Amino acid sequence: MKNKILTVLLTFGAVLFANEAVLPTQKATLHSFKKSLALNAKVIQLSNAQQSITSLVSGHLEKYFVKPAEDVKKGDKIALIESIELSRMSAEYIALKKQYASAEKNYESVKKLYEKGMSSMAQLNAELIKKSNIAAQLTTLQSQLETLGIDTQKLHKATSNFILYAHSDGRVAALLKPLHSSVSTDEAVVSIVKNQAYYIKSYLPLEYATKVQAGDKIVVDYAGKKLTSHITQIMPKVDATTQRVIVLSSVDEPTQRLFLGVYLKATLYFAQADSFVAVKKSALSFFQNEWVVFVPSKEDEHGEDEEHHEVPYSLKVVQIIASDENYVGVLGLREGEEYVSDKSYYTKSLLLKSSLGEHGH
Amino acid sequence: MLDKLIELSLKYRILVLVLFIVITAFGYRAYTQIPIDAFPDITPKQVVIYTESPGNSAEDIEKLITYPIESALSGMAGVKLIMSNSIFGLSYVSVFFEDDMDIYFLRQLVSERLGSVDIPKGWGKPVLGPNTTGLGQVFWYQVKDRTNKFSLAELKEMQEYIVAPLFKSVSGVEEVIGWGGYEKQYNVLIDTKKLQDFGITYNDIIGALQNSNQAAGGQYLEFNREQYLIRGAGLYKTLDDIRNTVIKPSQGQAITIGDVASVMPGVAPRFGAVSIDGKEAVMGMVLQRSATNAAKVVANIKAKIQTVNAALPEGVEVVTLYDRTEITHKAVSTMISALLSGVVLVAIVLFLFLFELRSAFIVILSLPLSLLIAFLLMDYYHLSANLMSLSGLAIAVGMIVDGTIVIVENSFRKLHDHPELPKLQVVSEAAREVAKPVTFAILIIAAVFIPLLSLDGLAGKLYTPMALNIVFVMLGSLFVALVLVPVLVLLLLKPTKSAQNSVMRAIKRVYTPLLFFALDNAKKILAVVSIVFVVLAYILTQQGREFMPSLNEESIMYRVIAIPGTALTQSVTTAKEIEEYILQNYPDDVTSVLSMIGRSEKGETAQANYMEVLLTLNPNIKDLPELIQRMSEDLEHHFTFVQFIPTQPIAMRIEELLEGVKAELAVKIYGEDQKELSRIANEIQTALKGIAGLERMEVESQLGQTQIKIVPDYLALARYGVSVAEVMQIIRNGIGEEGVTQKIEGIKRFPIVVKVVDAKDDIEAIKNVTLRSKNGNIVRLKDLCTISIVQGASFIKRENLSRYMVVSMDVEGRDIASFVQEADKIIQKRVSTPTGYYIGWAGDFKNMQEATRTLMIIIPITIALVILLLYTAFNSLKKALIILLNVPFGFIGGILALLVSGIYLSVSAIVGFLAIFAIAILNGIVLVSFIDEMRTKFPDVDLKTVLKDATLLRLRPVLMTAFTTLFGILPLLYATGVGSEIQYPLSVVITGGIISSTLLTLLILPSTYLLFYDKKKG
Repeated sequence: MKNKILTVLLTFGAVLFANEAVLPTQKATLHSFKKSLALNAKVIQLSNAQQSITSLVSGHLEKYFVKPAEDVKKGDKIALIESIELSRMSAEYIALKKQYASAEKNYESVKKLYEKGMSSMAQLNAELIKKSNIAAQLTTLQSQLETLGIDTQKLHKATSNFILYAHSDGRVAALLKPLHSSVSTDEAVVSIVKNQAYYIKSYLPLEYATKVQAGDKIVVDYAGKKLTSHITQIMPKVDATTQRVIVLSSVDEPTQRLFLGVYLKATLYFAQADSFVAVKKSALSFFQNEWVVFVPSKEDEHGEDEEHHEVPYSLKVVQIIASDENYVGVLGLREGEEYVSDKSYYTKSLLLKSSLGEHGH
Repeated sequence: MLDKLIELSLKYRILVLVLFIVITAFGYRAYTQIPIDAFPDITPKQVVIYTESPGNSAEDIEKLITYPIESALSGMAGVKLIMSNSIFGLSYVSVFFEDDMDIYFLRQLVSERLGSVDIPKGWGKPVLGPNTTGLGQVFWYQVKDRTNKFSLAELKEMQEYIVAPLFKSVSGVEEVIGWGGYEKQYNVLIDTKKLQDFGITYNDIIGALQNSNQAAGGQYLEFNREQYLIRGAGLYKTLDDIRNTVIKPSQGQAITIGDVASVMPGVAPRFGAVSIDGKEAVMGMVLQRSATNAAKVVANIKAKIQTVNAALPEGVEVVTLYDRTEITHKAVSTMISALLSGVVLVAIVLFLFLFELRSAFIVILSLPLSLLIAFLLMDYYHLSANLMSLSGLAIAVGMIVDGTIVIVENSFRKLHDHPELPKLQVVSEAAREVAKPVTFAILIIAAVFIPLLSLDGLAGKLYTPMALNIVFVMLGSLFVALVLVPVLVLLLLKPTKSAQNSVMRAIKRVYTPLLFFALDNAKKILAVVSIVFVVLAYILTQQGREFMPSLNEESIMYRVIAIPGTALTQSVTTAKEIEEYILQNYPDDVTSVLSMIGRSEKGETAQANYMEVLLTLNPNIKDLPELIQRMSEDLEHHFTFVQFIPTQPIAMRIEELLEGVKAELAVKIYGEDQKELSRIANEIQTALKGIAGLERMEVESQLGQTQIKIVPDYLALARYGVSVAEVMQIIRNGIGEEGVTQKIEGIKRFPIVVKVVDAKDDIEAIKNVTLRSKNGNIVRLKDLCTISIVQGASFIKRENLSRYMVVSMDVEGRDIASFVQEADKIIQKRVSTPTGYYIGWAGDFKNMQEATRTLMIIIPITIALVILLLYTAFNSLKKALIILLNVPFGFIGGILALLVSGIYLSVSAIVGFLAIFAIAILNGIVLVSFIDEMRTKFPDVDLKTVLKDATLLRLRPVLMTAFTTLFGILPLLYATGVGSEIQYPLSVVITGGIISSTLLTLLILPSTYLLFYDKKKG
């Protein structure tokens, strides 16, 4: 009701600006508001993104092949451990291999004899069992050695050298054991940081928590470079001091150098886009405690007022429901309705001035 | 007594001559020393109190600053009126006192009272406005950079620290006010989101800055019999000092300002700007101390410009934008030339009538001597030479010689008649014969102008100097006539063969039959003339009235008003467009355009939507009113979004002085609620639309300032552990950019501002300004406060502790008084005002009303006084009445002249009528006293014959006094220079009045005399 009165009261005939030609008008369009939001963020790594290279055998740490902070690739040598156990195993393996070869020979010869009827079936079975036993022992040992990364095919003599290899690409975070110290089984020797394991931890104000979803893009400003990440996790518990929802996003592209714990400025782009009837921000004006836009009125509506021959404008009260850099989504305007898209100040001036009364003669 | 005086002066004639030589010398000295000004000082006795409170809204300023100041001052002795205006960032309170109080005493009183005013900390400190007059802005200049090397901020710095101090040291300068450019400040830009990262609060940063920027004195130590002073020099020297300020230690490391913020020079938010010819500029205004000589002050300033320019960097110089003394000099020279041409004309007239060089010389000599005596008195009473006081002299020029003429003419005649008697005896007798009527006539002339002295307020201030000067010069002329003239007559005059000349003979030939006819038809003629007078007087009361015709300052100034809440940048753009448009379209008429936007650093209450545009005109414009009309229409048509109000620099200031209403006429609506006031204002506007004569009507839009209102939510504050003070601090310092400490560079001081970066990008940015509570909570402004956008007050005006709103109007083609009458009736009938609300009229009209009221009382008293004087002179009430009857005869011509020329009845015209009053009585006295003389000489002759002879014999002096007065005033009628238009109504009235008064005196006075005294005989 109030709005109606406003509109009726303030519909006015505006003299076109001699210098401005015509006020620019546009049609209100549906505009999708892809919301973005500035956030505080921090570079972190999840605990599973750090890997420790553990020794599978106990022994004596002889040599590191890497230095701290050195980049490594999967399969690169990391450290050399001299292991009594390994030398015992490898010696045993070589011995067993020899035993197996002789057991094989024995079995073949007994088999030939048996085919000729010179040996009994029981004798042949006994040889087979003997061979199988050795083979079983050998396979066990072989698989054990292979687990330790030793190529049994090439193992011709006993060795005590146990080499640790990198499991994945990354960077050496720390050498955990001093050289020449003894290492027990399952003890971590080197820790390696995986390259792909950087996360952006963003602090999201509560009201956006429901709108954000996994996969939404977060762009951080890292030392002048824009890094894109996508949300992988929305944590169930808010940060106590900031009262914000924590969102984790993983950085897409491989990055060489990100420093952990650094605070960053992040921008969250919601994938969910709302579409509203929108006008340009430059069309907005605040008038009598309402946001308004100006629309050209139909000329015949003002036929009764002979003074107002010029193009008249009237104002429409709108409610702002969304906004981005250039547009605002509004209620109160139909799609396709024409509105004054720029220089709303001048329109407002004309309106207020004409309400100041008769002007000149 | 008069006889004694004449005898004495004749006896000691050498002494008299010496005395007048001395008077001449001192008079000339006084003439050269009298301060020159365009107008008398019309400023009311007022003390202005400014409180700058940057960033605060009108509503809060009214509540927290204006009201406490007003109530503290309201109980003071001598206070007539308290007016205030609270606008964004400034409280302005103006206290008007009774005019007879001493300004320095009043300032002292106000200062004392201000001490008791309790204004919250951080809300500003009230200061007294400069002690200057309303027209105190005597000199405007630009700090111009011809090289385009310096930024506006740098120019502003030069203005503030080089130019202003130098000009301030000039004697008579009260204050130098800068306008335009940017004020430098040092910004510590913080991103409030970062506060989370470092675990510090906004308050920590402010505290760190304030604590670091310090100096201390450690007394001294003695070493080897010498004294060594100890000095702690901790004040910031470089920006790195600011950057390295430690906020708090953190694990052996310190967090510094540089870690959380970037420090860089920036500019402060501003409230005004200046643009000249499409380019922003820096200007300054020199305010003259009250009661100093404007011409001298400006001359001193101009002399100082060279020094200032030498102190400024190469390529930067001070350029004059406006010099008020130019108009002053023009106005004064208009008056002086009118005065001089008056003197010349009077001399010619005298010569024509007397046809004798010696007597003409004596009469003419009395002119400058009387004027010099007047200048002596002006000097003694500290009157300045201005339009009004000088026009007093100009009006009087014709009357100055009257006394002398009568004495000289009488001596001349007597010497002619009695060549056988000793010269000394003849002269003494002749002088003594007319001494009494001459003295009374001159005293009566002086008395007639007394009503002007009684005028109050603005009218009084304007017209008192004029009246005083008339009194001065008349007294001077009386002194000359009684003391010097007899001596000169004795020394110079010789008996001549014939006292008659051809001019007189011709006049007498025409006049004699007329006089005879009049005497024969005395009753009829008197009746006709009386009817004519009554009719004309009635017509006059139906005529328009106005307070004062406006002074043509030969310049154009526009007040340009955009809608309230207009941004300064928009106004600057508008100003530039207007300037370029005018320069492009009026290249022949306008040489430069200056726009002053918003307000200067102190002393103005304008906002960013208001600007004053001053055009510098080509000196050889032919038709200025036509140009103004054409240009105004053109501008209104072209810039439809703003309002143009044409005015002139001095006229504008005078308009402002009229009760703070910047219009000729205004309705003030008083009441508490601004919305209600606004409703009534709009109703009045609708009601008055269409009244004849209403040229423009304007409702002052007090509302309409859009505000982003941040209201703390106490629950939210409790939730996050943030105090209201912290919220307000970030609004005041972080967003509002109030300095937290100062960086002192020599004598220069620049605020250091802890500014929230990007906070003013848009509304959303403000909502998202982040705070960190002491216990580490991070929270945005919008989580703590309800932030809404509302429309509030742009300014709040109060008068005598009550809010009011103004509807201002311009009335054209009609007098204001009758307009007000009609409008007031309509308002009473059609506009409803609730309890507690009332309206009043203000502006020009009010002064007119006041003046009329006073005159209504004073004029009858004056008439009574004149009758008393006449009665004393003639010892007969009848004769006094006969002479007084002459006055209406004079008025007939005055009224006719006024009607014919179509001028309103203004105070200026009223002064004209007063002059006629004096002239008519003078004519009457000359004639009646001579008739009396003849009657006593020839008691047996028939009265009619005596009248005929007496009138014919007195024809020459009567005509001479009339013609000298007429020709004395003629130059004013034809003057075209600056200020002439103010004197125009007056001279029109006097011209008409003299003619009718002289004619009718010569014809009707004998008839009345006959009627009065014939009856008795019969």
